[in-house]
Amino acid sequence: MLTMQNVSKVFRTEVVETHALRDFSLTVAEGEFITITGPSGCGKTTFLNIAGLLETYTSGQYLLDGQDVSRLNDFQRARLRNQKIGFIFQSFNLMPDLNLFDNIDVPLRYRGMKAAERRQRIESALDSVGLLSRKKHIPSQLSGGQQQRVAIARALVGEPRFLLADEPTGNLDSNTAFGVMELLQEINDRGTTIIMVTHDKSLAGKSTRNIHILDGRIQQCTDDTHLVRIPA
Amino acid sequence: MFLYYLRLSALSYRRNPVLSSLMVLAVAIGVGAYMVVYTLNYFMGGDPIPQKSSVLYHLQIDSGNPDDTFEPPSQLTWLDATALLNADNNYRQTASSKFNAVVEPEGDGARPFSINGRGNFGDFFPMFDAHFLYGGGWDRGADEGNQQVIVLSRELNDRLFGGVNSVGQTVNLQGNRFEITGVLDNWQPFPKFYDVNNGPFDSIEDAFVPWNLITSLPLSRGGNTNCWKAPVGTGLQAFLNSECVWIQYWIELPSTQDRENYLDFLDNYTRQQQELGRLLRPVNNGLFNVNQWLVREEVLPQETQILAALAAMLLAVCLLNTVGLLLSKFLGKSGEIGLRQALGAHKGSLFTQHLVEAGFIGLIGGLLGLGVAKLGLWGIEGLIGDLMTTDWMQLNPVLITVTLLLSVGSTIVAGLYPIWRACNVNPAIHLKTQ
Repeated sequence: MLTMQNVSKVFRTEVVETHALRDFSLTVAEGEFITITGPSGCGKTTFLNIAGLLETYTSGQYLLDGQDVSRLNDFQRARLRNQKIGFIFQSFNLMPDLNLFDNIDVPLRYRGMKAAERRQRIESALDSVGLLSRKKHIPSQLSGGQQQRVAIARALVGEPRFLLADEPTGNLDSNTAFGVMELLQEINDRGTTIIMVTHDKSLAGKSTRNIHILDGRIQQCTDDTHLVRIPA
Repeated sequence: MFLYYLRLSALSYRRNPVLSSLMVLAVAIGVGAYMVVYTLNYFMGGDPIPQKSSVLYHLQIDSGNPDDTFEPPSQLTWLDATALLNADNNYRQTASSKFNAVVEPEGDGARPFSINGRGNFGDFFPMFDAHFLYGGGWDRGADEGNQQVIVLSRELNDRLFGGVNSVGQTVNLQGNRFEITGVLDNWQPFPKFYDVNNGPFDSIEDAFVPWNLITSLPLSRGGNTNCWKAPVGTGLQAFLNSECVWIQYWIELPSTQDRENYLDFLDNYTRQQQELGRLLRPVNNGLFNVNQWLVREEVLPQETQILAALAAMLLAVCLLNTVGLLLSKFLGKSGEIGLRQALGAHKGSLFTQHLVEAGFIGLIGGLLGLGVAKLGLWGIEGLIGDLMTTDWMQLNPVLITVTLLLSVGSTIVAGLYPIWRACNVNPAIHLKTQ
């Protein structure tokens, strides 16, 4: 469903060129749970941003469901993001003055869905992360782990084909991180493809494939034929 | 989505109340100040009779001093006015001029009081679309027969008859009894175009009588009078035969052809008078429709145009401040904008969302601006209230709509650049750092 062929990304300023990705090639199949690891600045987030159509690339080819995304305009890219991709961020990125219901409502609004269907989906998503009773609360009234679960509910409410998670447990203590990881595995088990950036090698071990990036290149790719997924 | 964006705008205002309120204040001051001047221009420079302004003409006959180069006089002499009135044509027309009189009310203990009046022909009322509460004007027979008939203003009828229908009753004016043919309703052309020589922003007169009565009774003539040479002899007849100008003269000419024909007639009349030793300047007759006449007579003071320019500059300065504040506010929302992009918003929808937000600020600014404008108008009323009637200085529904549209529109324009900047940030950067 996701194919990158020799994708490169160069950030240029007046004085310096930074090669964030170099000849990056990767194919992700439906239902995979991939973790991306590597040191800071190696290009993990750049890869995730390109995969999520938030960033353009300098050269190479990126096909999403067989569609060459370089040919898409802003409107088409936004529609793809809205319909096929869910994002989870390290710092949750919830809107502070919207309650949980309204936070989860945001992607559905851009889909032009009717109010009754939105309500049903939002409540179902909140229920799936165990926070339905707190739908009128604002994010600051929740713990970090709860906020991340709301962010996951927001990412899932549109029923995307795959989730892009950028260090989703980076701001959480180990117990909470474990809970979030467990939730992600459940989501993956239900068929959603997940690509997760993480620094945590123990979490990487729970994926079906780990990709290690160094200096913008894939250094090592370990698939589940070599890596046994540790049960949650 | 519009209501959703409106709700987001209210939330955004609440999130950043100081910055938002500063913007609202800047918009309110700019729009409020502009609307004060706009209101003055709107009423003072407006078309007082739009349905007929293009067919009503004020005459210009150049009876000025042949030895100077001043503009032709704005009014007519009695000699010219009577000559034109006696000409055989079927056009509606009226000479008119002011008079002052004392009304002697009926009843014990009722005390006399003075009024402003106008002498005019019966055509005056249908020509100028005067609205009657009771009855109507008088016919040409009354003009020609010097009948003592009178039309009262609503205020005078209220004062004399308690507001009831007084048509057919009489009123005692300067010792002469006049039969009431009509009572005007709340009719107030603004500016009072039919006589801009005597207070274009004054209220209409208290009473209207046939013009000939001013000289035949006579009544105490009032209003602006200019003479480039002194009357020969003394007394009323000497004054009437002089070159003094004091009469406004209007004619209704329904078509362009009528206008051309009448102008030819005026030129012929002038040449005839020149042969008789009058009107010694070169032929320079004119027919000015209502709006041309208001411009020629500079009814809208030049000061108001300067004020309008100053107010527009103040509005521009306030909007420039708003641009800066909006830039600060919207760039501060880069994280949210990036997040919304990640969640499926395209730039067009983000642009629209922030246009609505700018419009929302403009709307609140406009509502506050209405208050600023009201205060400004009160201030002006206090300044010039002794010089002219100020009842018209009100923010009517049209002006309220203009204020809100101006406010919302100008704030949206001011927001275009900040919104464009904010919507073009790289979402990826802000998502990582939010």
